[in-house]
Amino acid sequence: MIEIQGLTKRYASVVAVDDLNLSVDTGEVFGFVGPNGAGKTTTIRMMMGLIEPTAGSIRLGGHDLASEARAAKALCGFVPDRPHIYEKLTGAEFLEFVAGLYGVPPAAARERRTELLSMFDLTEWQNELVETYSHGMKQRTVMAAALIHAPRLLVLDEPLVGMDPRGARLLKATLRQLADSGATVFVSTHSLGLVEELCDRIGIIVRGKLQALGTLEELRDAAGSRNGAQLEEVFLKLTAPVERHSLGE
Amino acid sequence: MNLRRSVDDRATDESRTTGALRWLLYPRRRAFAYRLSDLWKNGRWQLAGIATLVALFSVGVFYLVHRTLAYFLGFPEFGSILTYKLLNMIFVVFFSILAFSNVVTALSTFYLSDDLDRIVAAPVPAHIFFYGRFVETVFESSWMIIMFAVPAFLAYGIAHTAGPDFYLVAALTLPPFVVIPAAIGVALTSILVNVFPARRTREVLVLLAIVAFALVYLVLRLLQPERLLHPETSASFAHFLNGLDTPSSMLLPTTWASEVLHRSLQGSLRTSVFYWLVLTSTAAAFAVLCELLTTRLYLSGWTKSQEGRKARFTQRPIWERFVTLITAPLGAQTRLLVIKELRTFFRDTSQWSQLVLLLALVVVYVYNFRVIPIGEGGLTTFYFRNVIAFFNLALAGLVIAAVAVRFVYPSISLEGRYMWITRSGPVDVSRVWWSKFWIALLPLVVLGQILALATNYYLDVLPMMSWLSSVTLLAITPGLVALGLAVGATYPHLGADSASKVAASAGGLIYMILCVAFIGVIVCLEAWPVYTFFMHRLYETPISTSARLGIATSLGSALALSVVVFVVSARTGIRRLYALEV
Repeated sequence: MIEIQGLTKRYASVVAVDDLNLSVDTGEVFGFVGPNGAGKTTTIRMMMGLIEPTAGSIRLGGHDLASEARAAKALCGFVPDRPHIYEKLTGAEFLEFVAGLYGVPPAAARERRTELLSMFDLTEWQNELVETYSHGMKQRTVMAAALIHAPRLLVLDEPLVGMDPRGARLLKATLRQLADSGATVFVSTHSLGLVEELCDRIGIIVRGKLQALGTLEELRDAAGSRNGAQLEEVFLKLTAPVERHSLGE
Repeated sequence: MNLRRSVDDRATDESRTTGALRWLLYPRRRAFAYRLSDLWKNGRWQLAGIATLVALFSVGVFYLVHRTLAYFLGFPEFGSILTYKLLNMIFVVFFSILAFSNVVTALSTFYLSDDLDRIVAAPVPAHIFFYGRFVETVFESSWMIIMFAVPAFLAYGIAHTAGPDFYLVAALTLPPFVVIPAAIGVALTSILVNVFPARRTREVLVLLAIVAFALVYLVLRLLQPERLLHPETSASFAHFLNGLDTPSSMLLPTTWASEVLHRSLQGSLRTSVFYWLVLTSTAAAFAVLCELLTTRLYLSGWTKSQEGRKARFTQRPIWERFVTLITAPLGAQTRLLVIKELRTFFRDTSQWSQLVLLLALVVVYVYNFRVIPIGEGGLTTFYFRNVIAFFNLALAGLVIAAVAVRFVYPSISLEGRYMWITRSGPVDVSRVWWSKFWIALLPLVVLGQILALATNYYLDVLPMMSWLSSVTLLAITPGLVALGLAVGATYPHLGADSASKVAASAGGLIYMILCVAFIGVIVCLEAWPVYTFFMHRLYETPISTSARLGIATSLGSALALSVVVFVVSARTGIRRLYALEV
């Protein structure tokens, strides 16, 4: 579903993402983790066509993002790290708008909208302007919008920020359900518990480079951690050398 | 790290840091400095271009004011009275614009800005907070006026062959002059935000718009511009002059500011200093009174301003039907984007309320032409009427540009933080551009045609002049809109939260200057054909074939230029929009 080759992004003298190669299969839940400033959000924004790579290519569902952007994007749902949505639209109108952009027929869009608003506990607020929503409600609205066209690939950047425990549980259940139905989920987060619980494979990015890739078991082996070690311990072991090196130690 | 220790260190320094107004202004100053240093390092040509455009603009204002003053001073008996009157009019117009723009700016800087959460939560003393925001408000609302004022006052000095003391006096007059309307604007905003529940913000802004309307109308009536052209309606010429010589009111800051400069030009430095002291002490008093009022009312007003409200009108079926109807010819995605634009625009009180102000300005604009005497015995003639109509063409173009700098140029920036929605979806970026283009084009075309048709009706010009005005405005408006979107995508402020802030940025100035250049070239290209046509009409001689050819070439070039500006701007705008990293 996702094929990334030689992906690089440079900002003047800073290399935010450095020759990244990665592939994620259909139906897989992939966790993308790394320290702050590692290049996670930059990678995701390049995957969603929000910023242009300096080099490399991205294929989503077999479509090259550079030459077949619309076809590639039509497959995806996206939840950004900051849930900026039009403050002067109501939640229901925002979902209607996104459904329209993705070409969902009006009747199907209405049905899906009702279902998602109810699923994310937003029915009561659907006719209120988004400017009155809390951060968590905006996050849930963005999540609902990302699902309105039943995407084959869902890309999430820090989806748990601002969500209450109920919302977080709902999100986990939704992601699992999506993956079970054959959709691919690519999630970037600092919440290692979520990754441990949900993800089939995990990629660890440090200073723009993919430091480790594999299942939790494979990562434990790579880190030399004992069986049953938590992802947090594995993560710290795998990222520490690079972080120390970058600090000149 | 010992966290307790660092907190204690900060506490001991608290009196030093919180007392410093400069920290509140620090983010703005740094942002400005970074922008300048970035331009200096990476865009010297761009910087040189901006400097050249600013210089050209200043020279233009200087030339216009200097020519007018030189003409007035050509009448030794009453030239000085006319230049004083003009000075007074300039100050009255500046004051009215500043009073309204300060209300709009203060709403943003004091009550709606994104950084208020952090600043209000910080241990900043109320008066320091007030002056920090007040200085920001003054800068944001006044810098464009100062850009006009500097070359205008320079022209005054040179036309009157004034000594260096005049320039010093002029430079010292502007700061207290801009502080007074700022204090009035901020105080008015603080009262309105408190008096009206935030859920009725819309009504508050309607009131503001009506106040602005009344203010503009009042200014117009106070100035009585028609008197300048109607001396014969006064009992005698002496009475007319006497009327001109009477200052509006000795209690108005505009009169004091005019007196400061006027007396300095006349060599009465002591009187000039007296009026400056009156102006400055009033400004200081107003600032202090505004501080007392605002700090007292602030917390309750800010609390109310954070409450949300319902979108009533734009959720009604009649509105939905209207929007569906007018967007029916558009493609599905463009239609969605246009509907979104309409909804967000008409639910944003800081945006739509300015339409009411715009309506007021149009009424005043047309009214000006209504009061110009055109009958028998007036100062105007057939030639004069049509010359005015020709210059009105340029003015109407500038009015469209002025509206576009407030509504069209910021539209890309205002989309910035939401652009991920369309950019991550299967939407061609050009559709976003076209949706913004269409939504701006239609009202601006209507505005242009109203300005052209109504004013030409009152001027009673030749049908040819009327047609020329309408067609020219119709031809240049797409170019002006596309240019606004192109400059908006070239100099974006993607995190911006207010259109007025974006409009007041350097990009807004570049856009205005480009518009002036574009309209200027169009007017130059049309000047000769219009002149030739009128001369032949006036002397009732037939137009030769070569003259016809020349007219066609000139008018054709104007049309071609309009098309080129539109096409180049549209291409640049779409390309820049594609390249924007969001």
